Amino acid sequence: MRALYLQAIDQHRHRILSFAHYSLRVRENAEDVTQEVFIKLWQHWQKIDHEKLGAWLMRVAHNSVIDHVRKQRPQQANLDHYAEVEDQVGKESDANQFDQQHFKSQLQNAIKSLEDPFRSIVIMRDIQGMSYEEIQGSLELSASQVKVYLHRARRKLRENSKLRQLFEEQIADKSEAKQPIALVANTDKGSGHAQ
Amino acid sequence: MPSNGESKCYFMQLQIDGYLDGDLSEAQEGVFMSHVQDCLACSSEFRYAQTLQDAVMELPQIECEDFVLEPIHSLTAGGSQAKEGVHRDSLVTQIAGLLNFVPLYFRYGFSAALVAVVAVAISLNVVIPIEEPETLVASDSVEEFSPQDIALALQQLNVAIDYLNQVSQRTEVMIGDRFLVTPLQDSINASFQRASIREDVPLNDGPI
Repeated sequence: MRALYLQAIDQHRHRILSFAHYSLRVRENAEDVTQEVFIKLWQHWQKIDHEKLGAWLMRVAHNSVIDHVRKQRPQQANLDHYAEVEDQVGKESDANQFDQQHFKSQLQNAIKSLEDPFRSIVIMRDIQGMSYEEIQGSLELSASQVKVYLHRARRKLRENSKLRQLFEEQIADKSEAKQPIALVANTDKGSGHAQ
Repeated sequence: MPSNGESKCYFMQLQIDGYLDGDLSEAQEGVFMSHVQDCLACSSEFRYAQTLQDAVMELPQIECEDFVLEPIHSLTAGGSQAKEGVHRDSLVTQIAGLLNFVPLYFRYGFSAALVAVVAVAISLNVVIPIEEPETLVASDSVEEFSPQDIALALQQLNVAIDYLNQVSQRTEVMIGDRFLVTPLQDSINASFQRASIREDVPLNDGPI
């Protein structure tokens, strides 16, 4: 039994931690959730339908994340501070990587700020690549509900003002960046001809 | 009031996710793409949606390192011992179930003998003074008794068992006398008394 249990852990550990990490955005809490999930797996090993083990684990992880989110609400200020620090680190990093890192950081914040089940569905489907059937089993929703919630979640992400602003800045920077390069090229050519 | 163009853009933008997921039919896809190519607002919105979708999909899977699961491994190792404990419990229960089939007097006799053994062991410890506790603590090996000690202990044990048997027999006799012999005797005596009284009184009528 223990060998099978360890095998199940190896198979699902990264997925569970990723789900918790993108849901909570605090590494320690994500690790706590992962531990809780596998402790519950050990406790309920005899009762679980092992053909649907993945869905069961994701369901437990989802419930555990919801519990953590409830507990974290009073500490929201700390989390915002965490996000600010992360942004600051992004600003201080290599200038070439700044845009993408900053955008990804904001994207993760935006995902975390989604309400459930939108958040869980986006993580499961778009980050973890789970099938609709797996998501249905994990969240106990119908297929049509999963699709509707997924589309709504993506729309909510698109409506995030910070993300849109960053995207538009990037577009503007790219178009501005192209212009000087062309000018420099022209100048070089021009100077070459003059000489 | 939204114009026809605006409502068309709204409708097309609702289909962005369907297009990105590949859920649109060929005809729907054609209409969608032709509109996006012609409409600047929808083109921009589509590009934004696609960029966002790609960025989400590029977010990496987080590696769960071994130290995260260390408490789990230690817990499950303890859990396997707990499982063995459960098996032991069930074995004890089975033995207790078997004991139910053993005759009552044997069970009581056995437990009485057990009590006697314990009593003898305790009395031996009380009578024989412990000379050097330090040596007892220091020596982890099993204590050795001389054959004389063992013989004496067995003798005392036999005496104790005999005594308990006698007590048990007396108890049985007392219980038998109290609940079986005495009532029978009383009943028989009463019958004799009634018979003697009837013999004294002459019968006036016939037997019927």
